[in-house]
Amino acid sequence: MIASLRADGLKMRKRWANWIMVGILLAWLVLLVYLLLFYLVKTQPASLRGSAVPASLLKRQIFPENLIPTVLSTASSIGAAIMIIYGALSTASEYGWSTIQTILIQKPGRLAVLAGKLMALAVATVLISLAAMAVAALCAYVVVSVDGSSSSWPAATEILKGLGALVLQLAVWAAFGAFLGVAFRSTAAAIGGGLVYLFVGETLLGGLFRGAAVIKEILKYLPGINADAVNSAFHLSYRNPSVQAALVDATHGVITLLAYLTVFTVLSFLIFRRRDVGGG
Amino acid sequence: MAQSYAVETSGLTKRYSTGVLAVSDLNLRVRSGEVYGFLGPNGAGKTTTLRMLSGLLRPTSGSAVVAGGAPGSPASLAQLGAMVETPAFYPYLSGRDNLRVMARYSDASKSRIEPVLKQVDMTDRARHKFKTYSTGMKQRLGVASALLKDPQLLILDEPTSGLDPQGTVEMRELIKDLRHGGRTVLLSSHLLNEVELTCDRVGVIAKGKLVAEGTVDELRARGGGQALLVTASPIDQARRLLESLLKPEQVQLRDGIFSLTVDPSQAAAINRRLVADGLDVSELRVSEQSLEDVFLQLTEKQP
Repeated sequence: MIASLRADGLKMRKRWANWIMVGILLAWLVLLVYLLLFYLVKTQPASLRGSAVPASLLKRQIFPENLIPTVLSTASSIGAAIMIIYGALSTASEYGWSTIQTILIQKPGRLAVLAGKLMALAVATVLISLAAMAVAALCAYVVVSVDGSSSSWPAATEILKGLGALVLQLAVWAAFGAFLGVAFRSTAAAIGGGLVYLFVGETLLGGLFRGAAVIKEILKYLPGINADAVNSAFHLSYRNPSVQAALVDATHGVITLLAYLTVFTVLSFLIFRRRDVGGG
Repeated sequence: MAQSYAVETSGLTKRYSTGVLAVSDLNLRVRSGEVYGFLGPNGAGKTTTLRMLSGLLRPTSGSAVVAGGAPGSPASLAQLGAMVETPAFYPYLSGRDNLRVMARYSDASKSRIEPVLKQVDMTDRARHKFKTYSTGMKQRLGVASALLKDPQLLILDEPTSGLDPQGTVEMRELIKDLRHGGRTVLLSSHLLNEVELTCDRVGVIAKGKLVAEGTVDELRARGGGQALLVTASPIDQARRLLESLLKPEQVQLRDGIFSLTVDPSQAAAINRRLVADGLDVSELRVSEQSLEDVFLQLTEKQP
């Protein structure tokens, strides 16, 4: 498995598409979360002036004290999409290029090949989470310095918990993408299927039909809803009251996300181990 | 001493989920240290067989032992280098980096990369991305990758496929070199002269079944061995006379030349008869039956 992990590490490092994904995530965090919000509260456009929330409160969202929930909210939207693509690329591309047959006739068995690939994905997920947290912290520091305000950093334990939550939910989405890649053996189908589920299946339908009792019960077991529940457990200076309350508590969220991580991993192994490679 | 086999299959069968029977009850024995040609027309089941031997496909029934282990097991893969169908590598990596990846997968030493690149004459292009390679370069990188582990068994599927004449000659020379050190090479091809020039023994597969196995000479003998070639005119009169002298199935006419499956010692008698009947005999010679003739006989006979 270590041999396979090293091989996948080299492939991931040398692949530009992976760096572009990480770049998009970090650029989104810097430009559309920190800079945009700071610009809006500073310039006070007409649309914001009538807001019930005072700008002084709104801008604290991007101060160091709110580092964790701000990063986590980005992770549950664009972060999820990026990690689905990242996971799908890591497995489905092997089928697209037919390299799957080249690596399966090297020394490690099938399980070791997939285990190495998923481990490499896990390492990448941790590094991406650390990068996102570091970039967000830098942005928060710059924002509060430029604003001349004062703010406090979250406690170390809170940062560690936040990092854990970030890694967990990004890992679930990466495992989902990897599973779709193994199941569909097509990059386009895996990415398309994953994003349709994320944005249409869960976000849109979940938002529209949340009022229906049956749908609500189903939503309690969906990964995105549970990720939101974990995120809402972290203190935020101001929560928009129009945002719907979490359907489940954070513990339920963590357990469900761990269950999804396990299920996606096990299903990937089952399919990968048994299925023929090539031929009619 | 008991013969040791690098590959031994027993009743190996593959039926795809589509219902197509690609390989049927295949019993193949490749001796250690030989270059074995796996010959068959396109669609005969060669690649399916090699995929099963490499562990990429699971047989529907039957079994195989490849390099001392079950196909696809770490024990078997450790001794196996293979290039099955078109060489597939990462397009965004250079040839050298692709080999680094494969060396990591196979636990091969990094120090093997440069020697195998040199062996396939790819050192100069190794820094370029795989996506820029010609078919010949891709094939050579495929062979280099298969050699990284310094395997005891090398499986090469149509290694000259898509190569120009110069590349084909170079690849053949390379294959001849690969057997050094007691290595076994299992080579699939639909090109008869390739097998004839490089292989010790040949297995012929048609419609998923092994229809013949042996050395090239043994296969020729199986097809009738030698033939007497006669060019005589007028052709119609010559045909009538030859068919009256021999059985009709012993007389075949191809491109104006009669091919007679008779003992060559009858050449003088046949010549005398043709001349005595007023026919002009411009050529009469003994010909070794080509592997192509045997191949066509064996593969066309299959229902």
